[in-house]
Amino acid sequence: MFLFFPLSEFWRTLFTSIIGLLTLAGIMTRPFRWSEARIAMAGGGALLLLGLIRPADAALTLLRDWNTFLFFLGMMGISAMAEAAGLFDWLAVQAARLARRSAARLFLNVFLLGTVITMIFSNDATALILTPVVYVLVTRLRLPVLPYLFACTFIADTASFLLPISNPINIIIMSRYPLNLFSFLRLLFLPSVVVITINIGIFYLLYRSQLKGSFNINNLPNVEKAVKHKAYFRYTLWVLAVVAPSYVIASAFQFPLSAVAVMGALLLLGGALFWKRTTLLEAGKGISWSIFGFIAGMFVVVRAIEDTGLTIKLGNLLLGLSGGSSFGAVMVGTFGSALGTNLINNVPMAVVMNSSLSSVQHAAPAIRNGFVAATIFGCDLGPNLTTVGSLATILWLLILRQRDVEVSGLDYFKVGVLVTPVMLFAGALTIWLLL
Amino acid sequence: MRILGCLDGTNAEQIGHAAQMFSATEPLTIALLTVIDIGPREDIDRIRGRFWRPPMGHHPITQEMQAVETAAAQEILRAAHAYVEKAETLVRRGRPELEIVNAAAEWKADVILVCSRAEYGEPPHLGPRSVGHVARFVLDHAPCPVLLLRPLAGEQFPISR
Repeated sequence: MFLFFPLSEFWRTLFTSIIGLLTLAGIMTRPFRWSEARIAMAGGGALLLLGLIRPADAALTLLRDWNTFLFFLGMMGISAMAEAAGLFDWLAVQAARLARRSAARLFLNVFLLGTVITMIFSNDATALILTPVVYVLVTRLRLPVLPYLFACTFIADTASFLLPISNPINIIIMSRYPLNLFSFLRLLFLPSVVVITINIGIFYLLYRSQLKGSFNINNLPNVEKAVKHKAYFRYTLWVLAVVAPSYVIASAFQFPLSAVAVMGALLLLGGALFWKRTTLLEAGKGISWSIFGFIAGMFVVVRAIEDTGLTIKLGNLLLGLSGGSSFGAVMVGTFGSALGTNLINNVPMAVVMNSSLSSVQHAAPAIRNGFVAATIFGCDLGPNLTTVGSLATILWLLILRQRDVEVSGLDYFKVGVLVTPVMLFAGALTIWLLL
Repeated sequence: MRILGCLDGTNAEQIGHAAQMFSATEPLTIALLTVIDIGPREDIDRIRGRFWRPPMGHHPITQEMQAVETAAAQEILRAAHAYVEKAETLVRRGRPELEIVNAAAEWKADVILVCSRAEYGEPPHLGPRSVGHVARFVLDHAPCPVLLLRPLAGEQFPISR
């Protein structure tokens, strides 16, 4: 609309900021039980309709981020097809067998399994697929459920910066600020190991009394039963054995990771269709299509805000807060991103930070790299603070708690508040030492 | 007298012994209650929400989850029957603390037997904060007297004055 009625810069900035803030506030509070995707698309649509962003600019923004969209698609496809093969059930049963009846060893094995799955399939697979599988397993073994569920949920985020593919957030940030595999591993692998160790250690202390028991190995399901179709299962293992190193090689040569993910998903889909383990309709249900609308909406909203120069101002503010030192850059990047992820979820925060970090492009390499690595670290690990959602969700759960009824979501929050700041500080310190 | 024994998967023996203490006094009607806790499922759905996924709903694994929950509940009741032969059995699904007080009201229990907390092989939990959130809620909201069953605390006496 305003394309036809030119506005002054002040009014354009004001309208864009209002729509941007309303979109972020909507994502935090989800009015009328609207999904985040609907709110983000409404925000992007309003900016387009009002002419506050040119359609060509919006289209270019979305086209520029094709790697992110395709990576999400491939990643979700691979996880869904591996789930159809029974891979996660099989791995969980193996973890229980290796635990040799000990509840404490099974707890450690769940952490290790979660780490491996997050590393190769991304945090999505651990949080969404492994968690219910572990729930079934520990219920069957008559063990207390909560410590194992917490282990799955937390490790999904704690292990999500071991490799670039371990979290789609890494792809979003690295699409704008490419880090080659060596730099990524140099800055983030050791911090990852440090925070995983802290996570396991604190959880053992917290749940030591519930992990003293043992389980009856006879309650374990037969390994054969976990495998739904032998030939497809073997095929899935072969495909994954090719896909996993391909990810590493593609990262090393900065080849688009989405190509590997989509190719892997297509190979698995082909096998699943051949052995009649799925249909196209069923496979489609394994994909969260709304996430594409959510990301597209957020990209458009943040691009419009970027045009007003506001995100640059945020970047300058962060740079100022860092005091121009690499230590400040890492701490501000880590804690700023972590706080933001708990306010507006990690994808919007990563997109906002992507835009803001253009201010640090010309800073000294240690400061620039410090900000980029800390943003990845903070956006990946930050959600562990509230785990079950955002601070808004936690406030709602606290209101429910007033009724004296134990609200399970709050258990996550209590643990998250205890363990996450320690992990954030220790990880940030390690990143700084590695700069 | 109508006695409602609340099973948590680790306390069949304690509930059984407590019920026997009452049996000497008058004819008893005993019910054994086990609650399938929906809390973990709610958590899984909340986590799905964070990843922009709908609740589990009709996801294939939900049937498996339901089957293992029911099997676990049946096993808990079977184990308790070894200590209390003639007892009604009640299986409920929900928040344990709410289901216990509501079941006690609906079943018209005269006494609720509840343990202070589930013990998974660890040493007995005694001293401050030894009463778990479920038992605490039942003590606060029960429609009838509650007998709180605790581990024997003989060793800690005398408590220094």
